[in-house]
Amino acid sequence: MSFKKLVSIVGLAMLLSTKLAVAQEAGGNLVYIVQPEPPSLAPYLSTSGPIGLVAPKIYQGLLDYDLELNIVPELAESYEVSEDGLTVTFNLQKGVTWHDGEPFTSADVQFTIMDVLKKFHPRGPNSFKEVSEIQTPDEHTAIFKLDRPAPYMMRAFAGYESPIVPKHLLEGKDIREAELGNNPVGTGPFKFVEWKKGQYIRLEKNENYWKEGLPYLDRIVARIIPDASTRTAAMESGEVMYGAFGAIPNVDVVRLREMDTIGITTEGYSMINPMSLLEFDTTKPPFDNPAVRNAISLTLDRQFFIDNIWFGYGKTATSALSSNFEPTGLYKASANYPESPDVEAANKLLDDAGITADGDGVRIKTTLDLIPYGEEWRRAGEYIKQAVADIGIEVELRYEDVPTWIKRVYTDYDYSMNLNYFYQLPDPVIGVHRHYGTDQIRSGTPFVNSTRYSDEELDALLVEGATSADPEARVGIYHKIQDKLSEDQPVVNLFELEFITVFNSKLKDHDFSAMGSYSSFDRTWLEK
Amino acid sequence: MSHSTKRVRYVLKRLLQAVPVIIAILVVNFFLLQLAEGDAVDVLAGEAGSATPEYMAQLREKFGLDKPLPVQLAIYLKNVLSFDLGYSFRHEMPVLKLVLDRFIPTLLLMVSTILLAVGFGIVLGLFAASGLNTWRDSVISIFALITYATPLFWVGLMMIVVFSLKFNWFPTSGMENVVMFYEGWDRVKDIAHHLVMPTITLSLFYLALYTRLMRASMLEQAGMDYVTTARAKGLTERRIMFVHVLRNAILPVITMAGVQVGALIGGSVIVESVFAWPGLGMLAYEALFSRDLNLLLGIFLLSALLVVAINLIVDIIYSFLDPRIEVS
Repeated sequence: MSFKKLVSIVGLAMLLSTKLAVAQEAGGNLVYIVQPEPPSLAPYLSTSGPIGLVAPKIYQGLLDYDLELNIVPELAESYEVSEDGLTVTFNLQKGVTWHDGEPFTSADVQFTIMDVLKKFHPRGPNSFKEVSEIQTPDEHTAIFKLDRPAPYMMRAFAGYESPIVPKHLLEGKDIREAELGNNPVGTGPFKFVEWKKGQYIRLEKNENYWKEGLPYLDRIVARIIPDASTRTAAMESGEVMYGAFGAIPNVDVVRLREMDTIGITTEGYSMINPMSLLEFDTTKPPFDNPAVRNAISLTLDRQFFIDNIWFGYGKTATSALSSNFEPTGLYKASANYPESPDVEAANKLLDDAGITADGDGVRIKTTLDLIPYGEEWRRAGEYIKQAVADIGIEVELRYEDVPTWIKRVYTDYDYSMNLNYFYQLPDPVIGVHRHYGTDQIRSGTPFVNSTRYSDEELDALLVEGATSADPEARVGIYHKIQDKLSEDQPVVNLFELEFITVFNSKLKDHDFSAMGSYSSFDRTWLEK
Repeated sequence: MSHSTKRVRYVLKRLLQAVPVIIAILVVNFFLLQLAEGDAVDVLAGEAGSATPEYMAQLREKFGLDKPLPVQLAIYLKNVLSFDLGYSFRHEMPVLKLVLDRFIPTLLLMVSTILLAVGFGIVLGLFAASGLNTWRDSVISIFALITYATPLFWVGLMMIVVFSLKFNWFPTSGMENVVMFYEGWDRVKDIAHHLVMPTITLSLFYLALYTRLMRASMLEQAGMDYVTTARAKGLTERRIMFVHVLRNAILPVITMAGVQVGALIGGSVIVESVFAWPGLGMLAYEALFSRDLNLLLGIFLLSALLVVAINLIVDIIYSFLDPRIEVS
């Protein structure tokens, strides 16, 4: 016997869209900011942020997620998970065509998952690890056969994370070299028209979009403006109407949010869950000793970063998991994440561990590498340097360019302490496991386990968390994982970053999806 | 031999001399760029968020980064000699197309800046020199000093704040309106409209330089014997100034402008960034940070060619301005 789930959502969505349709106005051009310029428009090859700002307007996923993280239908009108969790059946929308006029069918889904995402996508091999086969009994049904249950997979079907791509344009070609990468053809609300490198990417309304009456906008243009102050000026003058992921720096947001013509929101990042953190090389002294890592966690004033460097945007970390996982029950506040710094306890911890100070009061001399993604991170580094001096740790800061830094931390492991941020993504299996698992110690692969922390007990828990189909059981497993991690602290989480989206107040309904700026914008409209 | 055949021979000789120079530039830069840590694959993988080692190895193979350095260099030079600049790792496009796309905006900005800076520099220098130690001289000298000392990015941002946000006269950034689809004359006007602020910002810096140079050069020439002779012939001061002195005084300014064209390509990064102008400077800057070797070398090649060409043109202009200088 199998249980049916979420079939009526379609009706609900239709109801919702007719309700909203009353006030909406069709037409208009949306110019928004994309920065830096995307390397390509191939979301099936790269999850690079700037690609995410453009590609999901062209390509769609099987599902989408609303602001409460509920699953809503997209290219799949409904789905069904068998009771043993080993079969997932998607019923696809009918009458969907690709931008070149070819019909969209279950063969596209099968090809996308098995031959593209599972092989070439940076996260696809993990998200679809358990998928052994996709059956296509008819044009509108795709049946995923799984080796083991993979509950996290259901969180990976958005257009940004797992875009469905046209089989007829990729089959038999070198996927990475294919023309499609610079000339995308999708099923989404907007069609790719032109990309002027260094200037803009232009998309036009898809007149044959399968959602009746949508999209509202005639045209969307992603503009590339390298200088942050100029982006702010362009937003102020109304030349651009939307900028996400810190396109407008926090220092300017504080000023812009007072303006009537401009709105801001921190919604739309809950599927991404950015977490700032310190990584340690746990294979070498002094950071092979958990006491030292814990002492640092106890010393840092997490609220300081938020109040003084990020202009009040952010939330202190209280565990290895982001508090955004609270609705699913997975999150649990953990030890060693004090509300306010406890220098005394930290000093005692170090004393007890036998790490003593020399004549100048210095216990440890070390280097802190800083993520080269902007000035804020330098300021954060300067604060950390000052704060840990209180417990006798003398820090030298190092700020290099992106390739040098990535190679140092993730290939050569030539670092001691590294300030960084990670996306925890919609499920810990996708975003968090890569940080801690022994199987994630992969030299040369960026943003995985650079601490080289390896613990059998934790590894077993991670496997359990990934394969358990029962949501209740997962809660227990992840609570254990967080306890274990807060004890060992191979990574010290600092705070949950809050990215800010700045928009012109004429722009409406740009925030209907949990994907935020990575959504399709099909319901977005402009007030005249 | 007639004058014009001499000139042609000279040009050909100079062009021939340029070939080894350009190859040397490419080879030196090729090895210099290897000194930077990390490669294009590290950057691409880093941007993607995560990547498997197999994927990265495949990418390196695709880009040819797995081959030994001398082999990479040999392949590159061979391709360049057949006018193939290779493929940009990051943009997944032929380098030639990328570079040529950016070349027109660069040229627009460069030519208008040079014309504005040299033109106004000469005029201001002339005014300052002809009214030596008067209020006119002081005002111009102070103006030159201030513009020379002010950081470009600040001037750019202030221009945006004042002329875009306050008065709404000019667009803040970009090269053309992205949603209006102007064609023909309207498009030219639109681009010119967008060009005003970047040009003024960039030329302010050079303007100061040329003004001071022109002033000094005018003063120097004014003390020469030929000026005394001209005066003795009974020529008017105006004629001496504009026909005799000016022609000689302009030479150093032209020399300077020729040398600085090369610097303009790189030096315009700040202005390109502030005004989102899609020029080569910004492309080179981004290519460096993404370790896009082919693209960078392509840009270097183009700038080298440009500098060679401009210097040749400057030398020819010399021979027109001062017939005593012969091209041979």
